[in-house]
Amino acid sequence: MIAYLAMATGFLLILIGFYGALTNRNLLRMIVAFTIADSGVNLVIVAVGYMRGRTAPILDATVPAADAAARIIDPVPQALVLTAIVIGVGVTALMLAYAYRLYEKKRSLDIAKFMDLKW
Amino acid sequence: MVNALFIIAAALAAAFLLGLLKEQWRGAAYAVTLVALGFMTWISADWAWAFAMNGAAPVDIFTAGTEPPFAINLRMGRPEAVLTLIVNLTGLLSALAMKDALLALGRRAMAVLLVATMAFCGIILTRDIFNLFVFFELAAISTAGLILLSDDDRALSAGFKYLIVSQVISVFLLIGIIFAYHATGTLNIDGMADAAQALLPGGMQAFALAFFLMFMALVAELKPFPANGWALDIYESAHPAYSAIFSAAAGTASLYAVDKLLLIGGAAWLPAATGIGIVTFVGANLLALPQTKDRRLLGYSSVAQIGLILAVLGQRDVLGDLTSFIALGLLVAHSVAKAGLYWLSGLIAGRELTAWAALRGHPLMVFAFATFLCLLVGLPPFPGFYAKWELARVLAAEGRLALLAAILFGALVEAGYLFRWFGHAIKRDKPAEEISCAPFSVAAVCIAVVAGWALGLLWGEMAGFLFGRSNLLLALPLLFALAFLLLDFLPAWLKNTLAIAGLAGFFALTWTEYDPLRLIFAIIFTLGGAIVLLASFSAHGRRIGFYPAAMLMYAGMVMLIRATDTFDFFAAWELLTVGSYFLILRGKHSEPHALSYLVFSLGGAFLILMGFALAAGSGVSPRLTFDIASLSQLAQPVAPWVFLLLAIGFMTKTAAIGLHIWLPGAHAEAETDVSPMVSGILLKAGLYGLFVLLMSMGKQQLYGVELTTLMLWIGALTALLGNLMAIFQEDAKRLLAYSSIGQMGYALFGLALMNHLGWLMALMFVINHYIYKSMLFLAVGGVAKRTGTRAMYQMGGLITLMPLSFIAVLIGIIAMSGVPPLSGFGGRWIFYNAILDTDQRLPMIILFFSGPIAFLYLFRLIHTIFLGQLKDEHRKLKEAPFWVVVPQMIYVVLLLAFAVVPGIALRRVDEYMNQFFPEGGLDWSGLLITSNYGYWNPVAIMIIVGCIFMTLFGWLLFVNRRAQKVKQFNIVFAAERPYRPETTHFAWNFFAPYRKALGFLVQPFATRFWDAVTGSLHAAADFTRRFYTGNGQTYAIQLVGFVVVVFLLARGI
Repeated sequence: MIAYLAMATGFLLILIGFYGALTNRNLLRMIVAFTIADSGVNLVIVAVGYMRGRTAPILDATVPAADAAARIIDPVPQALVLTAIVIGVGVTALMLAYAYRLYEKKRSLDIAKFMDLKW
Repeated sequence: MVNALFIIAAALAAAFLLGLLKEQWRGAAYAVTLVALGFMTWISADWAWAFAMNGAAPVDIFTAGTEPPFAINLRMGRPEAVLTLIVNLTGLLSALAMKDALLALGRRAMAVLLVATMAFCGIILTRDIFNLFVFFELAAISTAGLILLSDDDRALSAGFKYLIVSQVISVFLLIGIIFAYHATGTLNIDGMADAAQALLPGGMQAFALAFFLMFMALVAELKPFPANGWALDIYESAHPAYSAIFSAAAGTASLYAVDKLLLIGGAAWLPAATGIGIVTFVGANLLALPQTKDRRLLGYSSVAQIGLILAVLGQRDVLGDLTSFIALGLLVAHSVAKAGLYWLSGLIAGRELTAWAALRGHPLMVFAFATFLCLLVGLPPFPGFYAKWELARVLAAEGRLALLAAILFGALVEAGYLFRWFGHAIKRDKPAEEISCAPFSVAAVCIAVVAGWALGLLWGEMAGFLFGRSNLLLALPLLFALAFLLLDFLPAWLKNTLAIAGLAGFFALTWTEYDPLRLIFAIIFTLGGAIVLLASFSAHGRRIGFYPAAMLMYAGMVMLIRATDTFDFFAAWELLTVGSYFLILRGKHSEPHALSYLVFSLGGAFLILMGFALAAGSGVSPRLTFDIASLSQLAQPVAPWVFLLLAIGFMTKTAAIGLHIWLPGAHAEAETDVSPMVSGILLKAGLYGLFVLLMSMGKQQLYGVELTTLMLWIGALTALLGNLMAIFQEDAKRLLAYSSIGQMGYALFGLALMNHLGWLMALMFVINHYIYKSMLFLAVGGVAKRTGTRAMYQMGGLITLMPLSFIAVLIGIIAMSGVPPLSGFGGRWIFYNAILDTDQRLPMIILFFSGPIAFLYLFRLIHTIFLGQLKDEHRKLKEAPFWVVVPQMIYVVLLLAFAVVPGIALRRVDEYMNQFFPEGGLDWSGLLITSNYGYWNPVAIMIIVGCIFMTLFGWLLFVNRRAQKVKQFNIVFAAERPYRPETTHFAWNFFAPYRKALGFLVQPFATRFWDAVTGSLHAAADFTRRFYTGNGQTYAIQLVGFVVVVFLLARGI
């Protein structure tokens, strides 16, 4: 149940993010919207890896390596999420840097102001 | 071999090393970058060599010391080696080409370049789907960084648009990956492919959705039309050397990623790849038509080429093992050409297409430009040509004709706008700003040129190994033509001597190998070409570019008659087409005409390709090569279609009515010595094609229509309308050009009669037309050179000043009009006998009717130019240049000789034709030629006509004593100066009454039709491209919409 809830929330966040990114003309709002979508994606990934009644994939005293396979959830999606978060941070930082430079150039954050290249 | 992981390691290590260097040590940082890229290139090259030469086995590289699926693995196999080589080499050469930008921005920019190159290699090497995502994100981030290298302010917004789209893509990709993982339990691509096969129907459906998302994410990286506005903006605004990477390296990597993904999806997803690919190819090429900016145009073309390769990947189900040969051929051609063109654009200051005129005066750069365009269009001897041929062959054999037609249509459009661009570069005003000669950038361009030709050689070898094809680049005639590229620094007279010696020498070496029919064509193509080339001795200086083009055309023509299988034939056809295009383009005002010639010719060539492909796919001969002779074994229902396609293709070259509009401009605007080449000689290539076609296929019926009857009508109408249009020309060379259309109509008619004498007549026209049209074009060209005009009403009375030209024109028009005693009469006599054998009365009457019309324009030619009053400004004219007159005098002798003893040329052909038509041959006893209906004694006719002429001439001399001389100004002027002086000249609008009566027949219907076709294509493209609004948000919405539409279509299917 909780996995489905998380997954539904994740997809909802993705949709909210897409809606926000595709309807807001302000560059910063678009970037924020994309981070919301990214969070949604991460939530979905984690939800896919979730298994009912199991514990986190951390091997320590409580979860000995011998019976780990039966007791922990799938660690792969968790690893993927970590990578995805790191990449997401990088892309967001780059987009913010771009937004800053774009603002410097035209003193505006309106995406519709940057249509010099077309057709 | 070095472990392929070092490609990635070297890039990362160098990037970190750059971080340790001082900001000021830019030279050192640049050196580190180059060394790293060079090392990466060397690793790929070493592997590629090992796979190609030593047959090495693919190697899997396990990371983290564990095998998949527990750790990521990379693979270095044959495709990976070649593709990473493309990527690394592009990176290295682009680093050379953007030296200034890199030095200006310092080590950080260089590190980003290294990371970008590494990321593209990673995409190719990895076998892990999530790792693929990571490399794609790395590529996206570094791309966004490198876009900023540009001087163009607008690059900033392009980079942001790209980031928006890449965010959307990464969401799709991640969601797809995680659900695919959920369904299959692995992230390894090969493991996923295996697991996907074993899925239950329920799991399959969920997996299909996940796969769809991954697939669309990677396809979106290929910039599919129409969801690609962001990519076009990058192409236009980024540093050109980065655009080269974006086109060649990123395209290569993304294509291979999609290819790997299709491994998982299996055959079910191939149609989707094909569909997206072909829509992209045709759509992007169409939208490129109205572009005027070079880099954006190249962007459209890049998108199109990648689309074509995607379509090829989607045809894996029928192409099988051929897929990699074809896809790789197209890919290397695209990569080298596009990268080369972008580097070249970096040397040019202006961004308009016309600014490329700056290349003029730099022969090496013009050659590079031409090489890249030929590579892109897939002309022989480049890899794209071999790929195109095999692709057409398989698609036709599998009945995928709609796809083949779409590909050829897109390719034609692409050739159209690319060569229009070349025309701008050669013909437009040179801009004030010279091209930059930065040595590193020039080096990058030159290496690309060398790579292009080397790949041509390599693909020829592979085609020989795989399919037993001949390596075109090693064909002696072509090598001879290409040698003139290296000799272009020599003075023109020396090159001319070499060219003549080459043509004559080739004939001397090979003449025993031809049958009588081919011998006639061989004589015209080689010895005939040599005679015309005598006129080229009148040119001074070095005449850069003339000889490679001319010899390319001649090489194509001799290869055409020597070809026995359809591949060689088609290759020769394209060679002679492209050679003659470059030749025609040299004329002063020939830019639009050369283009229309090329587009019509390539259109015709593509029909021929389709015809040959259909024939080869019919199963008549199981081998990969299809002999021309095997055309005769084709049966219904394929045979008539093959016939139709080939016939239209060849008739494009002979300028049959409706397809003729390229000819007048192309022939009239060409240089003085080029007009006879393209008219007298080149047109015969089309007739040769028709000869070959009819000899092997004979009569064919389509839906009950006899196709040769159709050709008969086309021939008759061409003769009539060509002649009619000729009589209304004011321009002497245009008059001759239109007359060629009419003459080719006669020849076509003769061939289509499908009887012994009809063919003999067509052959007679081949010989006659070569002689008198070459002679007349030279004579008129000489006059035009002296008078400085081609308008006939501005000439007159030149008979005394240019007597030799007069004699040539006089003899020429006597021969052409078909009156005794010259060889034209022989043609007529055979023709009258031929039509007595046929029951096609109506076209025959049309043809009769066009005879007298020819008189009208011929009369005008001699009357207006040589008779009448001499113009004041022409009083001091001299005879045409010596070397222009020499071939004319040779032709006079040839015409007289051929008139007296036509048997030397025709007798053996007459016998040869007995195998096709045993009935109706001629009897050649003594000096008498006898047919079923009468006889012809050329010697007697010559003597009789000579006597009559001498008698009349003597009488004229006798009465001339009493004539009163009228000086030019011995008339009364009306004391009024006319607004347009020529309108009062009797020679202007000479046949005005005829125009009133028959003008409706010569309305430019065909021109209007083709103008409407190209006009509506342009208008539609110009309208559609407004879809790319320039708004990054709109682009993202288009991408999402594209995914939804493909989803709905895929569900529908």
